[in-house]
Amino acid sequence: MRKGNFITAAGILSFSLVFLLLPFMGGQSYGGAPEKIKVGASVALTGKFAGGGVDVADGYKLAQKHINEDGGIYVKEYDKKLPIEIIIYDDESDPNKTVARLEKLNSVDKVVAYLGGFSSAMNTAGLAIAEKNKVPWVGVTIAAEGVFSQGFKYTFAPCMFSFMEVTAFYDALDSLPESQRPKKIANFELQSDWGIECGKYLKEFGQKRGYEITLTEKYAKGTSDFSSLIMAAKAAGCDAVFSVPTPPQSMTLIKQMKELGYAPPVTCFIRGPDLSNYWEVMGKDANYILTCGEWSPDMKYPGNERLVKDFREEKKTEIIGMQVGCGYGAVQVLADAIERGGTLDSKAIRDALTKTDMVTVRGHVTFDERGIGMVPYSLCQWQNGKLEVVTNPDHTTAKVVPAPPWDQR
Amino acid sequence: MPLKLKKTIAPGLVTAFLFCLPLFLSGDYYLTMVCSLFLYVTISQSWNLLGGYTGQINVGQSAFFGTGALVARLLWTGGLPFIPALLCGAFSSVLLSLVIGIPALRLRGHYFAIGTLAVAWIAFLLAENLFPGVTFLPGKYVATYSLLPRYYLYLVIMLSTILVVFLVVHSRMGLAMEAIREDEEAAQASGVNMTKYKVIAFVISSFFVGLAGGAFAYFHVSYYWYLPFILMWCFEPILITFIGGAGTLWGPIIGSFCYVALKEVFALTLGEVNVLIFGAVFIFIILFFPKGIIGVPEKLQEHLSKKAKSRQSARQKV
Repeated sequence: MRKGNFITAAGILSFSLVFLLLPFMGGQSYGGAPEKIKVGASVALTGKFAGGGVDVADGYKLAQKHINEDGGIYVKEYDKKLPIEIIIYDDESDPNKTVARLEKLNSVDKVVAYLGGFSSAMNTAGLAIAEKNKVPWVGVTIAAEGVFSQGFKYTFAPCMFSFMEVTAFYDALDSLPESQRPKKIANFELQSDWGIECGKYLKEFGQKRGYEITLTEKYAKGTSDFSSLIMAAKAAGCDAVFSVPTPPQSMTLIKQMKELGYAPPVTCFIRGPDLSNYWEVMGKDANYILTCGEWSPDMKYPGNERLVKDFREEKKTEIIGMQVGCGYGAVQVLADAIERGGTLDSKAIRDALTKTDMVTVRGHVTFDERGIGMVPYSLCQWQNGKLEVVTNPDHTTAKVVPAPPWDQR
Repeated sequence: MPLKLKKTIAPGLVTAFLFCLPLFLSGDYYLTMVCSLFLYVTISQSWNLLGGYTGQINVGQSAFFGTGALVARLLWTGGLPFIPALLCGAFSSVLLSLVIGIPALRLRGHYFAIGTLAVAWIAFLLAENLFPGVTFLPGKYVATYSLLPRYYLYLVIMLSTILVVFLVVHSRMGLAMEAIREDEEAAQASGVNMTKYKVIAFVISSFFVGLAGGAFAYFHVSYYWYLPFILMWCFEPILITFIGGAGTLWGPIIGSFCYVALKEVFALTLGEVNVLIFGAVFIFIILFFPKGIIGVPEKLQEHLSKKAKSRQSARQKV
């Protein structure tokens, strides 16, 4: 190698090293009560999952603001209320970055707990790091139950899982008058862990509740032509469709169902139509589509009104993504555990989390032994441009309405 | 001191420093970052052998990376000791490169690039559909998980890759590869067996990418099976090599350092804007320094001597 190249290389490497270390040269307090309770999250603020990631982060930030406005979290060990600081790093929708960011939050920022990111891919990587570092993790955008069957002790997810979504779907069917109730269900099964799990529960619970899964058609994540699935469901006379498509697929499916003249009275796509802009994109074709109802601005749980009012004031918009409420609820759960733990020790917070029994902005939350949140099973339905809560154990804002033919929507 | 011995002192010191580095790094974050750096050096250096030195733009790196990761993880979590599992993963990548490479390397230029990209996409779709779930390390491995062995594994793989690429490009084989890159017809006319050297470069490159994939499988506690197959693993090595300087040994090293370190600093300090700034830096380098960062001094020297010449001619005119 030429001497000039070596000097350039050495110069660049040293400069970058100094530059790399600069952000970590901040001061830190030692001894006594800390100035604040540090909690960390690695969330997709850029990249393909940024849409949902920004909503989750907004929920975290608003919860932080409200907790601090109320004086902070009482920590018995120090006999005083401490403000909470949620450090949010962008994982750029890359699970490798999630790992690095969570390591930084633990070893450099010294957080006492993690909050989850957005999407299963990032959360799967994240919760493993939490378990390795023995730092409690509370996440809200993960629905595959299998991930929580690994015997992990530090991971908690107060959100709806596959078995809850399927139960809510059957609850919605049950709520219809006998004469309008679908008898033949088509399962368009996405080939992902979540989709397969839902398929399993659909069959299992369907048998118990008197519904027949007449058709199961599988499709991959990248599929954009659903005509064969739709025609098969139409030919089999299925009067209800269940699926967990990706958001773009949920739009394509509806368009193709309309083009092919297939209008089952009940169409439930757990993912996709739950996005706040779904109506803007799909217009009246979105009408009567059922979707996940984890959180809604109309829910009457304590604190929800304040969340909605402040969010609308701050963001100057009426539209609030579902994940804002879910993120907010996760912080409430964690803050409650810190307070009950009485100390900032991770093990104590983890132990307190296992005993969670509280009402958040999304409803009552407890955890089972795997860390899966027992939350209200809830579904929403698009009704004339508004996502109405149609199944929820505590309250609903509307009843399930069977879909008429396409030209009458 | 003999010249040969002198030449080995600096690399030897750097290697010794890297072996001792964990002693000076406190916390898993820095170790994770360094592991990430080693991974990127490995995959971009192996891409460099085929793309930078041989001139065959392979846009299908993720297929080989993913195959290495998939086979190593399956065998390891299935009960095979890790090192044999890792080697099986690497040899599976080699096998794939032979199956793909022999017909694909008949294609030239853009056609080869498109062909390899198609392979990567097919591999991704297969992985996503055949393995739709998450792979977790068994509980016993999670309980004893430590970053140190991962660090040394990444380090050894990276050093081996650099050493092998160095030896190859400083041999007759390397000369043949560079000849192919410069002008395939002229190389063939001079008696260079093009297919042979292209396949050799492809096989070596795939072997080390497969090893890196295996190390990825060893590093992560849990991930979706398809993750090592995503197209990011195709584009990042190319980006890194071009940032540092394609067809040079130092290019991928400097490129990886800039990519991992600067991107991390930008991401942590600039928030969402970091993507924009990094993109602008990349465009700037490609536009003004096509030989990458390693070519900056040469470019500056060229610029300065041009200026000096024009001044001299102006004076002469006066």
